[in-house]
Amino acid sequence: MSGPDPVAQSPIPEVLIETTALEKWYGPHPAVRGLDFKLHAGEFIALFGPNGAGKSTLLRMLAGSLRPTRGEIRFAYGGSDDEHGWRRRIGVLSHQTYLYGQLTAAENLRFYGKLFGLAALEERIDELLTEVGLSNRRDEMVRGFSRGMQQRLALARTLLHRPEMVLLDEPYTGLDPHAARMLRGVLEKLRDGRRTILLVTHNLSQGLELADRVVIQAGGRWVYDRPRSEVEPSTFEQLYGERVGGAV
Amino acid sequence: MDFLRQSLTIARKDLLIEFRSKERAVSMLTFAILVAVVFSFSLDPAVRSRDIAGAMLWVTILFAGMLGLGRSFTLEKEQDALVGVLLTPIGRGALFFGKFLANLALLGGTTVFIYLVFALFFQLDLMAAAAGLALVTLLSVIGFLAMGTLFSAIAASTRLGDTLLPIVLLPLLIPIIFFGATAVQSLIVGRPMDEIAGSIRVLAAFDILFLFVCTVIFGKVVEE
Repeated sequence: MSGPDPVAQSPIPEVLIETTALEKWYGPHPAVRGLDFKLHAGEFIALFGPNGAGKSTLLRMLAGSLRPTRGEIRFAYGGSDDEHGWRRRIGVLSHQTYLYGQLTAAENLRFYGKLFGLAALEERIDELLTEVGLSNRRDEMVRGFSRGMQQRLALARTLLHRPEMVLLDEPYTGLDPHAARMLRGVLEKLRDGRRTILLVTHNLSQGLELADRVVIQAGGRWVYDRPRSEVEPSTFEQLYGERVGGAV
Repeated sequence: MDFLRQSLTIARKDLLIEFRSKERAVSMLTFAILVAVVFSFSLDPAVRSRDIAGAMLWVTILFAGMLGLGRSFTLEKEQDALVGVLLTPIGRGALFFGKFLANLALLGGTTVFIYLVFALFFQLDLMAAAAGLALVTLLSVIGFLAMGTLFSAIAASTRLGDTLLPIVLLPLLIPIIFFGATAVQSLIVGRPMDEIAGSIRVLAAFDILFLFVCTVIFGKVVEE
């Protein structure tokens, strides 16, 4: 990303997020169970797990949009109620784009930029639309965009306010090869050793490519958590299968 | 200052989408004309329309408003845009107030249209009491939409959706409907403003109460 980046200039705490006995239940069904972990500044974490493992639920709790049933999430800048501006420091890219189909690409970014209270917004919008290859579609309605184009615009929305932490929930879903390459390129640029990235994916090779910490979640628990340097890609699929109980 | 800026950003976005789709405006205006046509055919010629104009106007405003409110949060559900908005630093109260302002602009315009249609269909002379009617209607619509915006958020998150909205909302609006409709009726039949001063004060009190309570509890409604 070009332009001044506050994350690259400001001091960042060593531990960005710490959870203690974190749990989320939907009625009698547990989605996340007893998670204790720390996310350090600058880490790129790949979080793998089968469907129903509670990965998206964990992401929503980390983003501050879902309250835990039990346990605690401590953010480096204070609570998740945003009194310390946690939401200004986090960006979320999900399979849902959070975009309005009846607004243009630029209008969608302008709307979100105003909610973040961003200065020099028009320059930032131009910069991001160029970055995701949509500068020539800036004044077209989003409802006319392909799935890949919408996801690229959603990526621009995610990065609009230059978040310190980026949460990515299956961001490659529905992307064509060109869009997937573009996303990978952007993620590589974001991986600057200061920005924390948590990537949730089913795709083992895509996750292992960029990660420097590998986590497997199954049944709401972290059943594997190792530095990427200790992971052997050729045997990881077998290990993954064993850890999730043959659910691959 | 942030509160107002964020609220206006939400309201502007809602109105821009409505300006392009015209979904809500078309259904509300069409509904208003149809109700006026139905009343004009079904009224006994012996009944003077000005004697029941308050009730006719209120039935139309209320259900036209319900039609618009039903769609208020539906557009936020497509692509989970509401989640995206909740992930920004916007205050939940500002989000509520922004949605309320957009609904107010939409129903405000529709209400002016309803008055014009009914004046035309039933030869009502509304000009003499125009200022009083504008004040009473505005106060009534504010209270209606404060509750309506909150309950449309609740209804949108349930399977019953639009069906649930009038069922839960109408009983809570009885004070607003009672004081609003009787005050409008008094003004149409030519009673002086002094006579409805009490109704105006009660409506203003309900508006403040509803706006305050709904702004405070809206955050709890949308966050889970």
